[in-house]
Amino acid sequence: MMKKHTWLKYSWLMVTMLFGMIIFNTTTAQADTKEPHYVIATDTTYAPFEFQGQNGQYVGIDMDMLRAIAKKEHFTYKLVPIAFNSGAQGVLSGQFDAIIAGMTITPEREQVYDFGTPYYKTGIIAAVSPKSNITDLKQLRGKTVALKTGTGSAQYALSIQKKYGFKVTYFNDSNTMYNAVALGNAAAAFEDDPVMKYAIKNGVKLKIITQPANGGEYGFAVKKGQNKELLAKFNAGYAAIKKDGTYDKIVAKYLGSNESKFAGSAKENDSILGLLKQNKDQFISGVIKTLQLTVFGIIFATIFGVLIGVLAVVPNKFAYGLSSTIIYIFRGLPLLVLAFFIYIGLPSLTGTKIPAIVAGLITLTLNEGAYIAAFVAGGLKNVDAGQMEAARSLGLPYWKAMRKIIMPQGIKLMIPSFVNQFIITLKDTSILSAIGIIELTQTGTVIISRNMQGFRVWFIVALMYLIIITLLTFLAKWVDKKFSSN
Amino acid sequence: MGIKVKVTDLHKAYGDNEVLKGINLEVQENEVVVMIGPSGSGKSTFLRTLNKLENPTTGSIAIDGIDLTAKETNLNKVRENIGMVFQHFNLFPHLTVLENVTLAPVELGKISKEEAKTLGMQLLAQVGLADKADAKPTQLSGGQKQRVAIARALAMKPSIMLFDEPTSALDPEMVGEVLKVMRDLAQEGMTMIVVTHEMGFAKQVADRVVFFADGYIREEGTPEEVFGNPQDPRAKDFLNKVLNV
Repeated sequence: MMKKHTWLKYSWLMVTMLFGMIIFNTTTAQADTKEPHYVIATDTTYAPFEFQGQNGQYVGIDMDMLRAIAKKEHFTYKLVPIAFNSGAQGVLSGQFDAIIAGMTITPEREQVYDFGTPYYKTGIIAAVSPKSNITDLKQLRGKTVALKTGTGSAQYALSIQKKYGFKVTYFNDSNTMYNAVALGNAAAAFEDDPVMKYAIKNGVKLKIITQPANGGEYGFAVKKGQNKELLAKFNAGYAAIKKDGTYDKIVAKYLGSNESKFAGSAKENDSILGLLKQNKDQFISGVIKTLQLTVFGIIFATIFGVLIGVLAVVPNKFAYGLSSTIIYIFRGLPLLVLAFFIYIGLPSLTGTKIPAIVAGLITLTLNEGAYIAAFVAGGLKNVDAGQMEAARSLGLPYWKAMRKIIMPQGIKLMIPSFVNQFIITLKDTSILSAIGIIELTQTGTVIISRNMQGFRVWFIVALMYLIIITLLTFLAKWVDKKFSSN
Repeated sequence: MGIKVKVTDLHKAYGDNEVLKGINLEVQENEVVVMIGPSGSGKSTFLRTLNKLENPTTGSIAIDGIDLTAKETNLNKVRENIGMVFQHFNLFPHLTVLENVTLAPVELGKISKEEAKTLGMQLLAQVGLADKADAKPTQLSGGQKQRVAIARALAMKPSIMLFDEPTSALDPEMVGEVLKVMRDLAQEGMTMIVVTHEMGFAKQVADRVVFFADGYIREEGTPEEVFGNPQDPRAKDFLNKVLNV
């Protein structure tokens, strides 16, 4: 009786080991330093405070400042670029030690965060499309205004919403919000003064219609009552760079010069080939991340899905119940919700941090695995019952019959569904950009946040997905052929 | 001459529908028992309880003295000793003919792959299909499939063979080749229990004919007794219909 389950055990062992290897890989990168090490979140697209430079490194006022302070105060950190709202929540759940992301200090936020010395004074401005004849907030009555989720500017806009009578819609990054206004999907956008100005200077077609209002201040934030040492180091370092002029130099570098050097040359931005050449390294690393997620996602999801699918056909009520519950839950949850739950929700419960890539892979494994389990169960049920009877009548134990007789026939029936699921998995990896994994889609967002070339960059990204999907389909067809000729 | 099969007061019900209503049967070593009766009389269900493909509701089954209804019985071990041939062959379509025959003894560690190959070829020759060893089941006719299925069952060297309507799914011209293989087996002294509608086979080969109706054994005896002078009215009626077409 013991022998029956050994291959199941082996499969589980393999899954846990592979997951373990990934976790191990991502955490050993930071070993062996005597200096304290922190994980710090930042926004992915908030130029000029944080955005990816052409060499792929994060630059901007926040980034340069953090680098200078870390050097002065002798600490190291791992930077996690992630959508602002997820980053802010991640600090509260313990996933990150701190966040620096042009974060306005507000009384509400001060109830849950401890802020460092305010380092930048800002105001909120509104902008409209240059073609628009709106010149005053009063003209926004009845119109829709674009806001960025969870930001101070959004809060400000809401505070004046009653007075001016506009409707609101939300976006997760600044560039998409600008485009919504430029394309006429929204009448106006509210954003922090330096951010909006930097974007306009770099080619975003918007017109500012208000003076900076509701002056706020940016602060470096940790969870209330936590990471006191890091906060103290930040404050000491900030005081030092303010005193020796480093801070002013950094701000001047991004906002002082009339001509921006960060968006790339205008000539190259004008052609797709030029954009490709200019952002080659970023695109390559984005494609590699996407492929990694896809390949490992497919492997883990297949192992998980086959196990759960087989459980559904075992003549055992408990196994069937377990299997259908797992399929019900993970097929029912939207991938994005599952990703947020694992990456941001679980660490608040358990207190252990999960690297984004591991959270992403677990998400794919559970979600895609549930779909795989459903069609594996269906495929196995479609194998004629006489096959199992014939195998058992020869004296083969259940699991041996399952493995040698039922599974090879069932899997053949499932091949088209597998190919389909693999393509879906590839596309679903793009959703994981929301938890800060810089895969292909996020690479597109990040490049656009610097050069504002929305159409051309998304065109390139779309083309790359199609190429990968074509290759994947070819590979699947080849495997299918091998399988059926065998 | 030992007792191979001893069934005592066997009942089988699906919910409220009782299909076996108290079956008692003993089968001796080397005996060929043919079970006949109208469709739905319970004879196939009964045959399938003999290797526990169906679980009886109550009653006991002993094969070579081993009680199949006892919890501690290792069913896999018992089944190794009972060959079964199905109406629809149930060959493994993803394996070659030879692999169909050798799979079980190799997987269960009875013999090595080489020995299995020799044994497999020998069994295929015995059923007249040595030239089809590398074919896939889909390339065979019905009669050939059923002969492979018999060879597959024999590869485990069983001491009892169960046949569940082995010729019912065949075209008429293929029935003969399967019955010939079965006749040869009987002559070699295999203990066989056969559910069939082939009355000619029953007359010639059976040591004993058992007539099923409505979940009971209604009549039992030598072929001469049952075919020549049936006592039970249901048996009379049934035989009258099938023998005088």
